[in-house]
Amino acid sequence: MSAKPRASVSGTRTGNPIRDSALGRVAETVDEIVTLNHEVWHQSLVSPTLLEIIRLRNARTVNCVFCKAVRYEIAREDGLTEARAQMIDDHYRASALAEREKLAIALADAYLGFPAGVTPELARRLDTEFSPPEIAAMLVALLAFNFTSRTAVSIGGMPEEPLPLTLLPMTAT
Amino acid sequence: MPITSLDLDAHLSVAGTPAASFARLWRILWKQPYVSPGLLEMCRLTLARLHRDVTEIAAENAFVPGGLTPEQRKLVLAGKAARSEQLSNLEKAVLDFTETYGLDPQSLTDAQAAEVASHIGESGLVFLIEALGCLDGRIRVARCLRGLTGSGGSEAEHVR
Repeated sequence: MSAKPRASVSGTRTGNPIRDSALGRVAETVDEIVTLNHEVWHQSLVSPTLLEIIRLRNARTVNCVFCKAVRYEIAREDGLTEARAQMIDDHYRASALAEREKLAIALADAYLGFPAGVTPELARRLDTEFSPPEIAAMLVALLAFNFTSRTAVSIGGMPEEPLPLTLLPMTAT
Repeated sequence: MPITSLDLDAHLSVAGTPAASFARLWRILWKQPYVSPGLLEMCRLTLARLHRDVTEIAAENAFVPGGLTPEQRKLVLAGKAARSEQLSNLEKAVLDFTETYGLDPQSLTDAQAAEVASHIGESGLVFLIEALGCLDGRIRVARCLRGLTGSGGSEAEHVR
């Protein structure tokens, strides 16, 4: 991973982490990416807790140091404590997470795998817990989290070591 | 027709306004000043090849009227495009970047990024990175949806 960013930040100081990053350099896409992030956090058909679980699973797999260090306040207020966020690891299946939360992680892993894909067994299990619109909502969230975190990794400039946790206020979404 | 990255939005629309936003972003990708639709289509096919996704490879892209030339398709699907004398330096730089991105974004080198930026600028480089993330993500979601709807055929066995 490059220690030096391959593209400079936009130079704006709006307080929006997307707009003020290198993504702000692309005028054609930045407004829609900001809108997408907002819509995912505020209009999704699944809870902020499930969204944060998916986001953290993605951050871990992509190894986005920035993404791993962030916690969204909206999910914390929804009940995802730090102790529960720490359960999103290799041993999540044996954790105290709820069945729906474990299935959300399994869906994230199916998306993040190579090759990506959902097995018939996982499809059946998801079908028992989630409606098709809820599954679609989780897939849209995965898309959004995955492409922005991979963008951050590709632009580079990330520290090697973990960063201290930062609680991102709802106004940032 | 099996679901692909190209017709994904109709299947995701039940998710409401977040899906509508993602659909708008998808359309924007094909109308910007940095990477031509034809070159972006070569990127999509490169990622589809890396995913070994025959359904995705076979899909026709309405954003690229007339599609790629047979020679372009052949080069991309053979994994030889990034080194081909038949393509421009810009095309080769973008496809070389795409190949590495598709395998592991952490393996991208500063030299690969600089080569792309030398042709389309720093903003163009950031755009390309965004576009590759969208393309790759959409291929992944399409594969998941095919499994969820039971339309993946032997693909479901492949990921078991």
